[in-house]
Order: sequence, then C-alpha cells, then structure tokens
Amino acid sequence: MTSEAVIIGAQIVAGHDGSAELLVRLRHPNGAEGPVVLDEATGLMLMKTCGATHVDELTGQSWRRIVEGL
Amino acid sequence: MYDVIVRGGLVVDGSGGPGYLGDVAIQDGKIAAVGRIEGGAHRFVEAEGRVVAPGFIDPHTHFDVQLLWDGAAKPALEHGITCVVPGNCSLSLAPLRAADRQRVIGMFQQIEEMPPAAFTEAFDWTWEDFAGYRAAIEKSLSVNVAPLVGHSVIRLWVMGADAQERAATADEIAAMQVMLRECLDAGAVGLSTSFVDVDENGRPVPSRFAQFEELDALSEVLGEYGRMLQIVPEFYAIDITIARIDQLAELSLKHNIPTTFSPVFDSTATPDNVARTMARVEEQFARGARVWPQMQTRPIDISFSLLRPSLFFARLPRWVRILRQPLEARIAALRDPETVEKMVADLGPDGGERMMGRLVVRGGDGAPAELTGRTLSDIARDRGEAPALALINLSLEHGLDVAFLNANAGHEVTERIGPMLAHPLVHIGASDGGAHLASFSTYGDTGYLFSEFVRKSGALSLEQAVAKITAETADIWGLKDRGRLETGKAADIVIFDAATIGRGEERPAFDMPGDGMRYVRAATGIDTVLVNGQVAYAAGAYSDARAGVICV
Repeated sequence: MTSEAVIIGAQIVAGHDGSAELLVRLRHPNGAEGPVVLDEATGLMLMKTCGATHVDELTGQSWRRIVEGL
Repeated sequence: MYDVIVRGGLVVDGSGGPGYLGDVAIQDGKIAAVGRIEGGAHRFVEAEGRVVAPGFIDPHTHFDVQLLWDGAAKPALEHGITCVVPGNCSLSLAPLRAADRQRVIGMFQQIEEMPPAAFTEAFDWTWEDFAGYRAAIEKSLSVNVAPLVGHSVIRLWVMGADAQERAATADEIAAMQVMLRECLDAGAVGLSTSFVDVDENGRPVPSRFAQFEELDALSEVLGEYGRMLQIVPEFYAIDITIARIDQLAELSLKHNIPTTFSPVFDSTATPDNVARTMARVEEQFARGARVWPQMQTRPIDISFSLLRPSLFFARLPRWVRILRQPLEARIAALRDPETVEKMVADLGPDGGERMMGRLVVRGGDGAPAELTGRTLSDIARDRGEAPALALINLSLEHGLDVAFLNANAGHEVTERIGPMLAHPLVHIGASDGGAHLASFSTYGDTGYLFSEFVRKSGALSLEQAVAKITAETADIWGLKDRGRLETGKAADIVIFDAATIGRGEERPAFDMPGDGMRYVRAATGIDTVLVNGQVAYAAGAYSDARAGVICV
C-alpha cells in the first residue's frame, strides 16, 4: 500500500463548458478509488508537469502532481 | 367579449393529465376560461392540429446583461420560453456599487463570454440596488423574468474587495442578511451561490469564501420568504457533490426552503454518478428536504482550435508536443512537411477519418462561412487530403482560428438520459441560456426534449414533458401564477406542432453589441408564443408586444 493517493487511470471526457476535460481516477491509501474531473487547463498542466504526452502516461503518478501545476 | 381565444388545439395544460381538444380564452392577460368556449373575442388564434401548452420556464439562465437591451432574451422566446430565471451561479447585476462594476464585469465575462462592448455601449448603468436593476429591465420586457440575486455581489456590496479574500464577520453577515431582504422585497425569487466559479483571473468568486455560518444565515432570510437557494456544487467530484446535497438538505429542512443544484449530467466515463446523485436526492426528499437536481436535455459538445492546446489530442503524443509550443513555433512546426507527414501518420492508415472525420467546422471565427457546418471528412474529400491533414492545412490557412466541434461527446446516450429526465425528482433545466456565448449554443433545450425524448425515444409522454418544464418548474420555484392553463393563471401560452418541435442546427450569429459573436439555434415547430395574453412571437417573427413582467 502506498502512503498517498496515486493516479490509476485517466481519460478525456466532455466538460460542462464545452471543452475537453481530463477524468483522473485516484486510488487512495486505504484502497478506495474515485474519479475527479480536471478542467482543460488543469488537465493540460498535469500532463506537462508529469512530462506526459499521452494520457496513459499519467498512470502511477502521485495525486500531488495535480496540485503542483495550480 | 374576450381579448383572445386560442381555438381548437390539443390543450396540454401542464398538469401532466391527458391532452384534450379545446379552446383557451384570455382576458386582461389572464386565462379566463379553458374548454369549449362560446362567445366572441377581439382576436382568434387558430391552433387546430397544434398543441396548446403553458409557456415554458427556463430555471437556469444568465440573461442578466442581455435583458438590458433585449427584453425577449432572444432566441429563448421563440423556443417557447415565456419565463427565464437569471442571476444564477452567485452572479447578478445588483446590488452593485458603481465602483465595483468592473470587478463584476470580469466575472460575468468569464461565465457569459459577453463581448466588452456589451458593458460599455449597450445600456446605461442607472442602478446600484436591486430595485433599480429591476426598473431598468422591466420597462421593455417581452419575456417574464424571475430573477435570482447573486451571493457574490451581496458579499461584494457588504465587504468590498475583502469579499474575495476572507470569511465574513458576524456584523458583515448580518449586513448581508439585511441586503438579501431588500433584494427579496424588490422582486428577487431567491439567492444563488457557487462553490466552483472563478473570475477572469482564475480567482474564486466571492461566494466561495463564505463559511457555512454565512450560508446558513442567508438561508434563514430565504426561509422568511420561502424562497429558493440555487448552488453550483463541486460537480467535478461526485463525493463532494453528495456532501453538498446533504448540506442543502439540512438548510432546506432547517429553514423550510426549496434548494436546487446544477449541473447534473451523465457521462459514460462515470456511469454511476447520476445514479448515486439521485439515490442521495431520494433519501433527502424522503426526510422532507427539497433538493432539486437540475439536468440539461442537450448533449455536451467539445470544441477546440489549434490556437490553444486542447486535451482533444491527449492520445497523440506528437500532436501534444507540437501544439504545446508557443504560437510562432507551433505554426512553424505545422508548416514543416516532414513534421506534418508524421503527425498524419500518427492517426493510422485512415488518415484520421475515424477520430476526426466527424468533426464539424463551427464558423464565427477565421473559417470561411461556406465551410460552417460541414464535416471535416467532407471538406477533406473536396480538398483531396486526409482528414488530419485537412485539419492542419485549414487551420494554417486561417491563422489557426478555425474551431472544430466534436458533437455529442457527453450526456449523449438517449437511452440513458431519457429515464433520468423522466425521474419525478429531476428538475429539467441547466440550459445556461445567455452564457458560454462563444463556446456553444444554450438555446433549444426544450425543443430537444420533445424531439429526442418524446418523439424519438418515448421516454416521456407529451404531457409529461410539458409538465416538467411548466407546472412542475413553477411549483418548484413558487411561481404561483405560472405554469398551468387554468382559469386565473397568467396567459403565458405556447402553440406548437408536436410532430416537428425541435431545435435547429447550431450557427454563429453576430448580434451581440459591437457585432459580437455567439452561437445560437433557431426553433422548429413553434407557431405562436403569448406572454401575459399578448402575442410576442408568431409565424417566425417577434412582435412589438412588451408584456413581460417580473414574476414572483
């Protein structure tokens, strides 16, 4: 078990405001899993922060990467 | 002698009961009789072969600014909307001190995408308080308006710049209560707040700095009037949304107020979200709380251009790397034949037909008008190019300012959405009319309700669909005179063809102040719209009638 939440998957979804958004699935230290949707700017920043050029490359990254780019 | 008799239509009265052939008589702006009516009238409106229904009510709009120069909230009225609720998401144009206007304009532009000229050329700022704003709009209304007052502007009025910095003191909360009472006395139908929205600089709007005590105190005032609390919850995270439902339920029970939240929409990526939301809503209604989830009828589209990076390309690493570059370098890369060849090859042997072929050129930007509405597949065929190459070249030819639409990318599965909309606790709304002007059309959701979920899928009967957007909406919002074809009610009436009512294709229109652009949709199947007994729209044209009122 890791000591912090990690990204276990990500996919592109349609956002309420008409832009493409990033749905990120997190697995928490207690084993619980849940989705969170990032708006386009935040999603792009997450990919940049992680050096990812494909959404699949986000798998295994710490949840902290999400807030690093904010 | 009646003023008007609407004669010989299928009367679908908003109650949800079966429609019946009959007439509707109007006197002094009110419905005087419904049924087989003998007697004369100054005007007859023939409705044979048509449905005669109460005017539709749109409970989630941002027409606050547009109403100052367009009392019909076009094109909402031609879609059969006879009452709009502006002031959602914590933002209204009153109360607002002159010194704070620029700050709130920035917030509005973030949500509405209204061109700057709308705030500098289209109207005179003649008010600061809510009564003054009401006076400014009600002198030329063609549509009825049930305005919310925004939490963010009340906060700004009381706290000034600190409203966007910190929690309020007890004295400040008390002052907000006084101001809210003043707004409710002046015709506000409730309070809106947001836990999500940001201003033009990405800063949270003032309402997001409120602690629960503040919202509780304002809800206490709403309880004195029995008025609505509307919120935008953290809809990007279902667990937080459910926590907000619980919070709303406590406020509803404690202060005996209706509450509503939006948006609620379906995604096949998170197929359980709506079910979980509704399960919690059902639990809270069973306790006696009123927590109405608002769900839109229309699918969600994705749009993008190569002017800015988009997640649309997030499965194409080379495209991500190139489009992530500064504009000059990006254009240089897109002009390099070798790079472009590799980019197109990344799409596979079909040259992007599967991923990009159904993209639609939106128009209203740098794209030539003759391409508007055409698919990339079609355009690529004409150009003799692969779709991916056509996307690149077309963008380059117009300074990258060509927007592409990926339609029906979310909330799009009719077989899933229909039963959700038919759920007795789902409040059909969340159109966002008057907002997102440069991103997508927020008009025609009511037409889409009938074309997609009555005629096509049969998820709702004609009578159910009418009831959802008329009587049920009026009941939820406490609009006592609206929503039903009953003697004594306001004569807000829409006459439509049940076989053809729908929404037209999305198209750009340049009818905003300063020739500003927005996306709109025309209505289909709407014959006539009466507002408070006067014909406001008929045979494809707006009349000069200005019978709209602030309705409470």
